[in-house]
Amino acid sequence: MSGTADPALRPGRTARRGWAAGRLAAAARGPLGVTLGIVVAVGLALTVAYGLHDVAQRGVNGLVTGTYFALGAVGLTLVYGTLKLVNFAHGDLLTFGAYIAFLVNVTWGLPVVAAALLAVVATALLGVLSERAMWRPMRARGAGLLQLMLMTLGLAFVIRYGIQLAWGTQPRRLDVDVTASVSVLGLRIGRTELIVVLVGMATLVAVSAMLRATSLGRQMRALADSMALAEVTGIDSDRVVVATWLFAAGLAGLAGVLYTAAIGSMTPNLGFFLLLSLFSAVILGGIGNAYGALAGGLLLGIAQEWSTLVIDPRWKVAVGFAILVIVLIMRPQGLFGRKERIA
Amino acid sequence: MIPLAVSLDALSTADFWIGVGVLAGTYAIFTLGLQLNVGFTGIINFGQAGFMAIGAYAMGILVVEAGWSMWLALPAAIAIAMLAGVLIGLPSLRLRADYFAIATIALAEIIRYTAQNARGLTGGNQGLLGFDDQWLDVSDTILGWLPEAWQGQFLLPLLIVVWLTALVLTGLLIALQRSPWGRVLRAIREDQDAARALGKNVFAYKLQSIALAAALGAIAGWFLALNLSFLHPTSFEPQFTFIGFTILVLGGLGSYVGVMVASLLLWALLEATRFIDLPLAAEKVAALRFVIVGVALILLVAFRPQGLLGKRQEMVLHD
Amino acid sequence: MTDGAILAVRDVVKRFGGVAAVDGASFDVRRGSITALIGPNGAGKTTLFNVVTGFAHADGGDVVYEGRSIRGRPAHAIARRGLVRTFQITKALAAMPVLDNMTVAAPRQPGEHLPLLVARPLAARRREREVRARARELLARFGLEGKADEYAGTLSGGQRKLLELARALMAEPRLVLLDEPMAGVNLTLGATLLAHVHALRDEQGTTFLLIEHDMEVVMGHSDRVVCMAQGRVIADGAPEAVRTDPRVIDAYLGAVAG
Repeated sequence: MSGTADPALRPGRTARRGWAAGRLAAAARGPLGVTLGIVVAVGLALTVAYGLHDVAQRGVNGLVTGTYFALGAVGLTLVYGTLKLVNFAHGDLLTFGAYIAFLVNVTWGLPVVAAALLAVVATALLGVLSERAMWRPMRARGAGLLQLMLMTLGLAFVIRYGIQLAWGTQPRRLDVDVTASVSVLGLRIGRTELIVVLVGMATLVAVSAMLRATSLGRQMRALADSMALAEVTGIDSDRVVVATWLFAAGLAGLAGVLYTAAIGSMTPNLGFFLLLSLFSAVILGGIGNAYGALAGGLLLGIAQEWSTLVIDPRWKVAVGFAILVIVLIMRPQGLFGRKERIA
Repeated sequence: MIPLAVSLDALSTADFWIGVGVLAGTYAIFTLGLQLNVGFTGIINFGQAGFMAIGAYAMGILVVEAGWSMWLALPAAIAIAMLAGVLIGLPSLRLRADYFAIATIALAEIIRYTAQNARGLTGGNQGLLGFDDQWLDVSDTILGWLPEAWQGQFLLPLLIVVWLTALVLTGLLIALQRSPWGRVLRAIREDQDAARALGKNVFAYKLQSIALAAALGAIAGWFLALNLSFLHPTSFEPQFTFIGFTILVLGGLGSYVGVMVASLLLWALLEATRFIDLPLAAEKVAALRFVIVGVALILLVAFRPQGLLGKRQEMVLHD
Repeated sequence: MTDGAILAVRDVVKRFGGVAAVDGASFDVRRGSITALIGPNGAGKTTLFNVVTGFAHADGGDVVYEGRSIRGRPAHAIARRGLVRTFQITKALAAMPVLDNMTVAAPRQPGEHLPLLVARPLAARRREREVRARARELLARFGLEGKADEYAGTLSGGQRKLLELARALMAEPRLVLLDEPMAGVNLTLGATLLAHVHALRDEQGTTFLLIEHDMEVVMGHSDRVVCMAQGRVIADGAPEAVRTDPRVIDAYLGAVAG
């Protein structure tokens, strides 16, 4: 393509436009394109019924929610895809991230950014620790599905109640400004929330790029597709597994920090509370598919907020669960998953 | 080392043991359902706390708001729980085991969420009271039959009824297990494709299994309600299902008797921690108990998956 | 459908992703025959078995059993109609006793249905006695009666093969589909299995369709041979005719070379 020396051989402008159009069309068919399509379509329908301002405002709120849903869901689906491990402790990795941030930011008095970074690192390390200490030995022993799931439950207990032991159940807050808000195009968004969205989206874009373009990313996706096949092609599965855990847990830690920043407080329950929504996002997007989880998270966040136009806001979390059940009934492989081994 | 002062006096009171006994009996019935599902059918039910909530709240609501007799409300509560089990089973039992597990947690959370937010119906976070008047009458009567010395033990009748029920249910389940019906269930647990190839409608059997487990969960819910006299959504959070699983693994898959033994052991252990004078606030002691449960679950599953009474070759948790 | 055909496979198609594992296969199985299904690896034989027995859904075509279409019917319903299969890798119910492996396979057990179990316990008990007696009889016939109370997981590979066949017979089949019955089996055991197959066909008119790679077995024991390659039936007739059919030879050589 570009980079060929001979000018006569370089594709002409029309040819390049055609190539760009082709790439755009391919992207439109992919998860993000479909997601955008759904959001726009539903958004238009709602606007007709409820007016642009309401729909847009809640859409913005939904984007905030969707951001940390997506960050959490991507990690959950990567671990599932690679290791076939349904990690019920994943939600507690979010809690862990949030509380480490609290420790660094409030107890040690360091700035929030440093706290977030340290939280991400600490959670990533916790993920790798669990892999080395628990999952790898159990895999080597041929542990079955139920055994592994129960161990993730045990780990969830240990992390969650360990945090409760250390910090108690009263809500804690990060040292961030939760009152200041900005107005963008006539819509209000908290200043912190805006930062959450920007940071979250930037991370998601970076993660997407990593998965698509780097060799490590490709290997992770190959492994998630089929570990046996990937090993045959010479991928060092052990190294990729560790990388997967670093990413998954790191993203979870970040999601926890962002959630706390957006919501304004944290309790030891936050992770488990979010976990069901994360599962919904993962299954909506198609289990094992990282882009699907990303899309699923955003869709779920926006759906949750838009549902408040129709139902009492108290029930908006139940929307996530309802979506989960509906997806399982109607299309268990989710929007972007493959039908192969659902049953 | 933290100096551990244990109030041994407290441990030796009948009060304590009766309290432990009621909880243990309640969760034994709860876990009998899990044993049927996991140990004998091979389906992973993570929503048992939801069925317990249905049992408790259905009974509570029917008695308090609709004025039903408790004796009618209980079978109705069981029926509603069984219906819920079938409803969640219909779409998700044909999916993979882990999807079913997630679907059952989702159901349980929807139920708990409803209990929390349908304030008009369930009292929400304020709780539901006043449904146990009939039970208290029965309880007094039973208390009257007991010797003088025990007259002060108000929970004793409940203890007796809970354990009688647990024993009867265990006997029924063991008998069912030995029947041809139970044999099909075990074949499904071993290899569902083989069972299908032999003409067994695997899906229908799995539905029956979840419905029965839901019934058992509902019965446990009824006893929990009578024990607490007060219904609150936090009593039905998912961690109670996972305590059930700890009991299940401790007792050993495939052993109903193991469920009862393990439930007694675990609850004795958990409740005994109340009496250790740790320099910690009450809520932190509660947290410590759950950390212990988590660690116990991990270690058991990793190193002794057959638990106390499971047989190694039969009971190792494979799929 | 031709008279005397207990099973008719009509243009069955089954795709996985973009690949057609079975691509328009048609043949009949005559009642009371021992028919062999042969073909190089990847020809689609096991996939076809899965479609016929309801373990996979056909994307096209039809399967007619005893005059009625069974396409799309669930596996358990097909088995209940007397079309029973064994698996290439035996599926012994390892953590159950051998006797239970057998008794669970028997049809028409009121004890297996909760309402009947509760309402008619005596009928259930009576049938259970019958079923156990028949199970022991069959086990004895296959030389496994000594193992009746042992866990099936303790059986040797060959014993599991015998159990797999004996268990299939408990289901009172009219048509038995055997997936590579001779795989991993020594000569003596193989002869035993084949003797049983012949005896059942001769005594009870049971039809057998077997996937088999061992040409001696196929030539020596089948009435009719169907050869598949690349998802289609390329030859169908008497053993000797099929063996010398140039298309069949091509298919096998092609598979070896390619």
